[in-house]
Amino acid sequence: MRLVPDIVLRHRPLERATGARRGALFGVIALAAIWLAIPIFFGQYTVFIAAQVMIYAVATLGLDIVYGRAGQLSLAHASFFGLGAYAAALSGPLGIPLWIQPALVLFLAIGGGIIVAVPTLRLSGLRLALVTLLFGELFDWAIDHSLALTGGSQGMTVAPITIGPFNSQGTLDAYLLASALALGATLLTRQLARSQLGRRMLAVRDSELASASLGVPIVHTKITAFILSAVFAGAAGWVYAYVVGFVSPTTFNLFASVYFLVAVILGGAGRIVGVWLGAAYIVLVPELFNLVGYPNLFPVLGGGVLIAIALFLPGGLVEGAELVLAELGRYRR
Amino acid sequence: MTAAALALDGVSVRFGGLAAVTDVTTTFAAGSLTGLIGPNGAGKTTLLNAISGFTVVLSGRIAMDAIDLTPLSAAERARLGVMRGFQTVRLLERETVFDNVLVGCERLPQPHLLGQLLALPDQRRCRARDLAATETALRDLGLLPIAHRRVDELPFASRRLTEIARLLVVRPTVLLLDEPAAGLDTRDRRALVERIRAYHEAGGLTTIIIEHDIELVRQLCARCVALDMGRIIAIGTPSEVLSGQAVQQAYFGARSGA
Repeated sequence: MRLVPDIVLRHRPLERATGARRGALFGVIALAAIWLAIPIFFGQYTVFIAAQVMIYAVATLGLDIVYGRAGQLSLAHASFFGLGAYAAALSGPLGIPLWIQPALVLFLAIGGGIIVAVPTLRLSGLRLALVTLLFGELFDWAIDHSLALTGGSQGMTVAPITIGPFNSQGTLDAYLLASALALGATLLTRQLARSQLGRRMLAVRDSELASASLGVPIVHTKITAFILSAVFAGAAGWVYAYVVGFVSPTTFNLFASVYFLVAVILGGAGRIVGVWLGAAYIVLVPELFNLVGYPNLFPVLGGGVLIAIALFLPGGLVEGAELVLAELGRYRR
Repeated sequence: MTAAALALDGVSVRFGGLAAVTDVTTTFAAGSLTGLIGPNGAGKTTLLNAISGFTVVLSGRIAMDAIDLTPLSAAERARLGVMRGFQTVRLLERETVFDNVLVGCERLPQPHLLGQLLALPDQRRCRARDLAATETALRDLGLLPIAHRRVDELPFASRRLTEIARLLVVRPTVLLLDEPAAGLDTRDRRALVERIRAYHEAGGLTTIIIEHDIELVRQLCARCVALDMGRIIAIGTPSEVLSGQAVQQAYFGARSGA
């Protein structure tokens, strides 16, 4: 069925300025070059960290859907990440075949997303955050108290996916797996921003009154946002477990949820590039502090950076980068 | 699209002990353009809220042609084409003028969720259609030069026009405007009147305008409904209504000529 007659489409809609398009093209080429350069010029450790950045970027894109775009503050996001990770980890001992697992993760994430979304129908802002926090704690508690299955706070190892020569814990294989996931999630998010659903989310975030007056189904939009966000996080968690080979509750606790939130706010809510920058920050900076031997400095610096961003750059790093680029452009002219 | 008639039958709205609208019964003919006037606190905005579903009615029935709107939510009514503007403009403050108007395309048919996310051909066509409609609406109201500005940095007149573009981007069936000309200068006001008239002449639209600017009501509306204390006190042509004794009394507190 065609929803639109062809005649309408002959009219050229308002296009973005060619400068912006050229900028985007340049960006894509630059990213592809970096993506190729990492495994070619850097050692295993760097490649492994890069894979983690990509996995975290997918989970962060998920939080950005529900928080950055739809405006619903969630402190249970790491639990969805954990849901996917433990689905992978437990599939070994429970004997769940690989080909069923993606469907299983999808099913769990959708179910979890709906459950966490229900309070949003009545609550917003901080009260909503508190209820989502409860769900997050519940997940932690469940992992801790199913010791026999999950190893509790000790965590558990995860056997890699092996298909022929492919081994999900081989450095390059992990890099490729994470890349495929990240590319898919990024393209989906980009499409979301261009779709009716994306518009509905912005509307719900900015003004529920205006949304209602335009016919936007507010409840439906919020639930869909939670489900999508849970699916992104679940998929990321699933890949995470198979790539890293070890899961433990600390990766999925409240602090992890807060770091996802930090990534979204620091990078720039509602912006794909911002989310990537934020995800890189929450993976790379703690790693850097580990390397120099002061791992405990990260939370201190993290707090400071967050305050600075909130005060001086409410649109996040991506807005800062845009300001700099605009300034440079003016200078060149 | 054919126009729909709007019928109010014994509509009453109460806020606690306050009777905001009492027993309002009238019909707005299909394709008509009606001015809704009355002193402050007369219940004009409340009546508009009742029609658009933002206020629960205590009793009475609101129908658009054969459709009973009374049990429907505001969003459901909007999906049927009952579109309203707000006295204090309600925009998506963090978005551009363009995106604000684009959201007004909500009522147009769209592909299902997977089609949207996977960019299936239908999604591409729908997006192109929505962008084209948005551009047209922006051009009609002279907003193209500021299409990519964020609305929260714009002066009030532009914000008002953005909201009106959002209402008109998809042709409404019933259009409810709450003092659309307030805050506009003479030139913008004239442009707005022209635009509303043009939309009307193209047909298919039933409009109710709350307006304090009597001149504007005279220019635009063939019919006028005056409210006071939540009740209809006069119905007729603008001249009839404005010269009527009840209206004179409501506005000036004394009998005309006294």
